[in-house]
Amino acid sequence: MSSIVSLRDVHVHFGASRAVDGVSVDVKPGEVLALVGESGSGKTTLIRAVQGLQPVTAGEIIYTSAAGATAGPGRGNRGVQMIFQDPTGALNPRQTIYEIVAEGLRIRKESQNEVERVGRALSRAGLRPPERFFPMYPHQISGGQRQRVVIAGAMVMEPDLLLADEPVASLDASIRGEILALMLELVGDTGLSILVVTHDLGLAWNIADRVAVMYLGRIVELGPTEQILGEPRHPYTRALLSVVPETTRMEQQILVGEIPDSRRVPVACRFHPRCPLLQSGMLPAEVASRCTTEDPGPVDRNAGSAAACWAVT
Amino acid sequence: MTSLAMQRRRATAGRVLGQFRSSKQGVIGFSVLLVFVVIALAAPLLADVRELNPVYARASGNPQWASPGEFGALGTDHLRRSVWVQFVWGSRVSLFVGLAATILTISIGSVVGIVSGFVGGRPDAFLMRITEWFLVIPFLPLAIVLASILGRNVWNIILVIGVTSWPSTARLLRAQVLTVKQRLFVDRARSLGAGNGHLVARHILPNVSGLILANATLAVPISILTETTLSFLGLGDPSSPSWGKTLEEAFVNGAMVRNAWWYFLPAGLGILIVVLAFTLIGRTLEEIADPRLGRSR
Amino acid sequence: MNRPVLSVKDLAITYHSASGPVPAVRGVTFDLAAGDSLGLAGESGCGKSTLANALLRLLPDGTITSGQVMIDGRDLFALSPGGLRAVRWTTGAIVFQGALHALNPVQTAGKQVREPMLIHQTVGSEDEARVRSRQLFERVGLPANQLDAYPHQLSGGQRQRVLIAMALACDPRLLIADEPTTALDLMVQAQVLALIAELRRESSLSLIFITHDLSVLTYVADRLAIMYAGKIVESGPSLSVFENATHPYTRALAAAFPTIGDQTSRLAPSGLAGDPPTPGALPAGCPFHPRCPLAEDRCQTAEPVLRKAGQAHRAACVLV
Repeated sequence: MSSIVSLRDVHVHFGASRAVDGVSVDVKPGEVLALVGESGSGKTTLIRAVQGLQPVTAGEIIYTSAAGATAGPGRGNRGVQMIFQDPTGALNPRQTIYEIVAEGLRIRKESQNEVERVGRALSRAGLRPPERFFPMYPHQISGGQRQRVVIAGAMVMEPDLLLADEPVASLDASIRGEILALMLELVGDTGLSILVVTHDLGLAWNIADRVAVMYLGRIVELGPTEQILGEPRHPYTRALLSVVPETTRMEQQILVGEIPDSRRVPVACRFHPRCPLLQSGMLPAEVASRCTTEDPGPVDRNAGSAAACWAVT
Repeated sequence: MTSLAMQRRRATAGRVLGQFRSSKQGVIGFSVLLVFVVIALAAPLLADVRELNPVYARASGNPQWASPGEFGALGTDHLRRSVWVQFVWGSRVSLFVGLAATILTISIGSVVGIVSGFVGGRPDAFLMRITEWFLVIPFLPLAIVLASILGRNVWNIILVIGVTSWPSTARLLRAQVLTVKQRLFVDRARSLGAGNGHLVARHILPNVSGLILANATLAVPISILTETTLSFLGLGDPSSPSWGKTLEEAFVNGAMVRNAWWYFLPAGLGILIVVLAFTLIGRTLEEIADPRLGRSR
Repeated sequence: MNRPVLSVKDLAITYHSASGPVPAVRGVTFDLAAGDSLGLAGESGCGKSTLANALLRLLPDGTITSGQVMIDGRDLFALSPGGLRAVRWTTGAIVFQGALHALNPVQTAGKQVREPMLIHQTVGSEDEARVRSRQLFERVGLPANQLDAYPHQLSGGQRQRVLIAMALACDPRLLIADEPTTALDLMVQAQVLALIAELRRESSLSLIFITHDLSVLTYVADRLAIMYAGKIVESGPSLSVFENATHPYTRALAAAFPTIGDQTSRLAPSGLAGDPPTPGALPAGCPFHPRCPLAEDRCQTAEPVLRKAGQAHRAACVLV
């Protein structure tokens, strides 16, 4: 078995807007893949498509469960579970913690050992003793604990793949590390795979095995974390990394403007209007002309590392 | 598992009861309402229904326009009938009509609002056009026309109030459902594989129940007042002596001119107090239904 | 050294709530010299935003304050309403977080930038205000044609620039920026930080920059103050605090955002157990002791005060 989920040329369009515009990538068993990008890169739309919350316009999402059976995307697929950016919003204020965690089991009518399984999921998520949390309501616990409840609600289904949408972006700085450590621990203990969407390169450095950098609906660079964050090749990844406050060794490369509207994706290379490499005039003329006339295409999902850039060889 | 669910349900009921008891406004509202419910239920014991008949009243030798001191607790009217008897039996009709019409209004409004908001698309557009149609036709003329077509009896009054006053509930609920539907926990349940039935029952309904309760609170007094209005306009059930009907008869027969306050005041105050009691209860229930209110205040 | 723009002494702020008084800020003292910048870092509930609002007396009614705030030589709490209005905008201006909600959706960006100038009469006429707003837009890097744009027509980064232009409208000597980049993307955050750095180079603007992200502060602030449970627990020169953190809380906060390339944090996220304390129910002794990896018995009884921990560097921990 080579992958838990395989995305093949996935497109998600909203009218003229090409939010996700041809993404191909595999998530392998037991790996943490970070999908990194700014807002407008299509990363959240993509993860929602993998979960089945968002219909796919074109392309395929092939899910292979541990049992070997192949199924469609995640919705209604117990092997794929999702956690969210805002744990407060993800919890129904009218439900107790017990009801929230048990919800997946109840939807699937798996009532045997419900109490035990809910208790186990809560303690695995670090809420111990679980019985203390059973009757509580979300507003009675802290933000970090709420995210743990969301994680318990996903883990009670014993998934193969956990989708995480900015899992720590709304949490306090000191809580962040604890939640990330929990996610790593779950991977180690259960062999889970995680696809995490984030704008936070530090998060990728903390937990990801591989990083995929998204720009305007496409993955522009893909490879092992150490390589992408250590020796980035795509000019967008390089610029992004140079402005991360956590790195001080690079010269800042602040790009002008913001990600273009996905209704007006630039022709040829989608990054060329903002590309510092192209603007520097250092590129050989034949490469520079390709940048403005020819699309480098999506990266190869089977390659060990790849960058969608004419200047990268 | 069933026992656990039962246990939880019982605990919830206990919690609601406990919280209700600890709320002053809730207890006051409930006590006041209880008094009126007891009066309404015990009407046959408290007052002789035959006294409502003018022929019987005259035969018993009651005085006309007697003030409270002169005859019984509340005096008599122009037809020598005891106002007390009218008040007691009137509470029965008014409360019954108010509650029954509210149940009808809220049921129609909730179903239309939730279906419209949750399903969206064409069904939503269709239902909202109907709702707007009901909203724009002036309520009173429609009610009058319906009441006169259907005939003057209690059930028709309930029907008239029910089918004319649901649109505002429907629109409010639709708006609320639209916001709840956007909440992340609905997405979470969806990604756990929840179907529409589960989403509505477990996530949408519990989060709009406060609004439904609040609306019901408002609908009961409005229904009682509507019944009063219709009766006052002479469209009430001639055989059921509601408070509204008492007011109408008092007005038509010159109780105001005669300064016969004992004729209209009991019915008027009855309406006022019952309306207030429902509002107090509704407020309290709303606070309990929303765990974030109440505690923090 | 010249007179400080801002001098805060023993400032304490207590909110009122149904469940009793909530001490949000419990005695904060610092000075800010003209042209200096101070970074204020801490988590939700540590009192940093309350402190920022208190510096321009923007707190809700019924809030109890004690201590002293001298802004440009004047006692803030003794100011008349008229004097207070003059201090806001013209001496000190604040840039709030959430650029979307801080702008009026039905007014053009230009009008909102002109408004404070006209109210405080720092310009003589509407025309002068127009000229000035065009200059301000240029200064914050916005094209002049966006003076006529409505907030929804602007991107998040542009809206944040409009807010900065607004704050600069009356030439304040002090700029208070409350999480101005939190909601922004990485690249846009870098743009805004670069803009703030440039504005400070051009004039002698003093800056208080508030955030939960310590690493951002090393870019914009000369000095850092770390707040926990309503008090400053460590303060000093930025690099000294960031790299030689003395207080265990500062160390945890600094490690929360890893340095990319640093192998010690690779696949090893670091955080603190427990949750930030609620201001209404602080633990006895050092308020950090329940979460502190180095806590000793004595930490449970006495709350430590700030002590010297290096050159101009102070920390409130018994281990100093």
